[in-house]
Amino acid sequence: MARFVLRRVALLAAVLFAVTFLGFSAMNLLGDPLVNVVGVLAELDCEGIEAGLVEDTTVDAASRDCDTVAAAKAQYHLDQPVPLRYVLWVGDLATGDFGTSFQNDQPVSQVVREKLPETLILLVMAQIVSLGVAVPWGVIAAYRANRAFDRGSTVASFGLLSVPNFALGVVLLYLLALRWQVFPSAYESDNLGGLVYSMVLPALTLGLPLAASYQRLLRTDLITTLQEDFVHMARAKGLPPLRIMFRHALRPSMFSVVTVFGVSTGALIGGSLVVEQIFGIPGIGREIVTAVIRDDFPVVLAIVMLVACTFVVLNFLVDLFYGWLDPRVRAR
Amino acid sequence: MADQAASAGAPLLSVRDLHVRFPTERGTVNAVNGVSFDLYEGKTLAIVGESGSGKSVTAKTLMNLLPRTARVSGEVTYDGKDVRALAAGKVKHFFGVQMTMVFQDPMTSLNPVKKVGEQIAETLRYHLGRSRGEALAEARELLNVVGIPEPARRVSQYPHELSGGLRQRVVIAMALACQPRLLIADEPTTAVDVTVQKHLLDLLDGLRRDRGMSMILITHDLGVAHGRADDVAVMYAGRVVETADARSLFFDMRHPYTEALLRSIPRIDDPVHHRLDPIPGRPPELIDPPDECAFAPRCVYAQADCLGGVPTLSGLVGLHRFACLHPTGTERGMAAMAANRAAGTTAAGLAVTDRGGGGG
Repeated sequence: MARFVLRRVALLAAVLFAVTFLGFSAMNLLGDPLVNVVGVLAELDCEGIEAGLVEDTTVDAASRDCDTVAAAKAQYHLDQPVPLRYVLWVGDLATGDFGTSFQNDQPVSQVVREKLPETLILLVMAQIVSLGVAVPWGVIAAYRANRAFDRGSTVASFGLLSVPNFALGVVLLYLLALRWQVFPSAYESDNLGGLVYSMVLPALTLGLPLAASYQRLLRTDLITTLQEDFVHMARAKGLPPLRIMFRHALRPSMFSVVTVFGVSTGALIGGSLVVEQIFGIPGIGREIVTAVIRDDFPVVLAIVMLVACTFVVLNFLVDLFYGWLDPRVRAR
Repeated sequence: MADQAASAGAPLLSVRDLHVRFPTERGTVNAVNGVSFDLYEGKTLAIVGESGSGKSVTAKTLMNLLPRTARVSGEVTYDGKDVRALAAGKVKHFFGVQMTMVFQDPMTSLNPVKKVGEQIAETLRYHLGRSRGEALAEARELLNVVGIPEPARRVSQYPHELSGGLRQRVVIAMALACQPRLLIADEPTTAVDVTVQKHLLDLLDGLRRDRGMSMILITHDLGVAHGRADDVAVMYAGRVVETADARSLFFDMRHPYTEALLRSIPRIDDPVHHRLDPIPGRPPELIDPPDECAFAPRCVYAQADCLGGVPTLSGLVGLHRFACLHPTGTERGMAAMAANRAAGTTAAGLAVTDRGGGGG
């Protein structure tokens, strides 16, 4: 078991390195990073001005602009060689220093701290909704495979899978918020209860299509597992069907669902861009859209890094979870 | 036969005219066609036949393990109660307590994600209401009974950490947990090493005797049945073609199929490089079988009347019965063999050489 975990941790470190390196490359190796930070000022030949070799065409502001450039170089370690710059940048990330937003000179870490919880709550609720719906749904469908319920749910799940997020969101909004007024239509943040309550519709919008795919996978795997000899053995032992389903068949049938759980987080974050727009949730998804439009490079990079690392770490946890699901995985 | 008369009373398990059919896209598979037998308390019945003979389907029918698509008719009574009604009524504490089963492949009949001890303890907890601790202690004791060394360590291991032979012992321990009165062993040793086979069979036999259990031993190997079964039923194409007490069956067989099965077993006192006698041809099709003796196309005794209808089992349940018009070891059989030898072929068109037969 210790070796199993150790190998996963080594893998995690390697992937995190790759992810941060790609992010760093995007910022530093594609074009001049200084342009991203100070814009046209990067064109200034400050060294030349200082040495009096180049004529100062900016009349009186040149020395101030050169100060700005120098400060930016220091903040983003642009005066250091590239490999060292990478190390320093990762160190900054690790200590929560994501730089400063171009938009309002706020530290990016503050932007993230304000917006991240909303998105996290949304994602966690979406996953809870999808698993909470998919597991009972898949179990019932597999238990009575190819009967009326199962056939009906095949139709329903393909329906859910083919409806785009924004359409489902609008339909849910219309039915549950406007027509029957079960859930609020707008985002509330007065207290945690209200917040969670107002997040139900967005979570359903994100979670239901996912539930449909989980249900497909779980149903198929369960039907296979239910034909295994050990299930027959459990029946020969006289155990009741529900007990066999939950104590014997469910766990070995969870592999595909768990795998997709890990991978789908990426898709969920993508989906949250749209859903946060529809339901007016001030989260990371809305923030990154705004930041991209405004060329707010530090914010975009910080969010991309955060999303990528969350994704990697989550899939690391999924790998560990395989070990719990099936002891044979640990032995490998 | 005399033995059975002594154990008079009602049989523990009684099967009458059991039919099992599976509707498939290619047609209806007639897996079991009118099987009847009795099993008395404390006895062992061996059901012998090659793959597709319906022996496993019969066992699964008894345990109510058939897929929902199966169409079953006939009567199965256990201790005077209708088993299929019991199963339909979802009665608790019948399977696993009264009647249980050991499967062919120990590699797949244990749950790979649960510890061995838990899998045994589970039955005790559900059926007998034992606490977790008590059940695990009993599980250790059961592992000891089935001859697994270091039971205290084994209970907390997973199936993949055990060898095939040990796993089958675990399966047996699991089946025995609630002291069942009837154990159905479906080819319990087919998937393990030959060296382990004998140990397991002896173990099963010993446990059966110690606990006064009844056993149905399903096998394709007549050698396995020999010396362990009180009665033997030979199945072919979903029918019992010959059934008798073990002594009569092995030493005074009547059905040509039984004879052919016995001839196809290698014997230790055969000369070196002795050629085995395989049974010619293939097992019959179970979809739309022709109205003839199912063994006729492969039978060296086959005569024209064998192709004119399915022969029925002669005699009363409990006696030596066989379904053959030209039984081996009888005058009719010898006459049939002689005629086929003279003609060089059977009525079904099978070539007969001098090596190919020789009745009783």
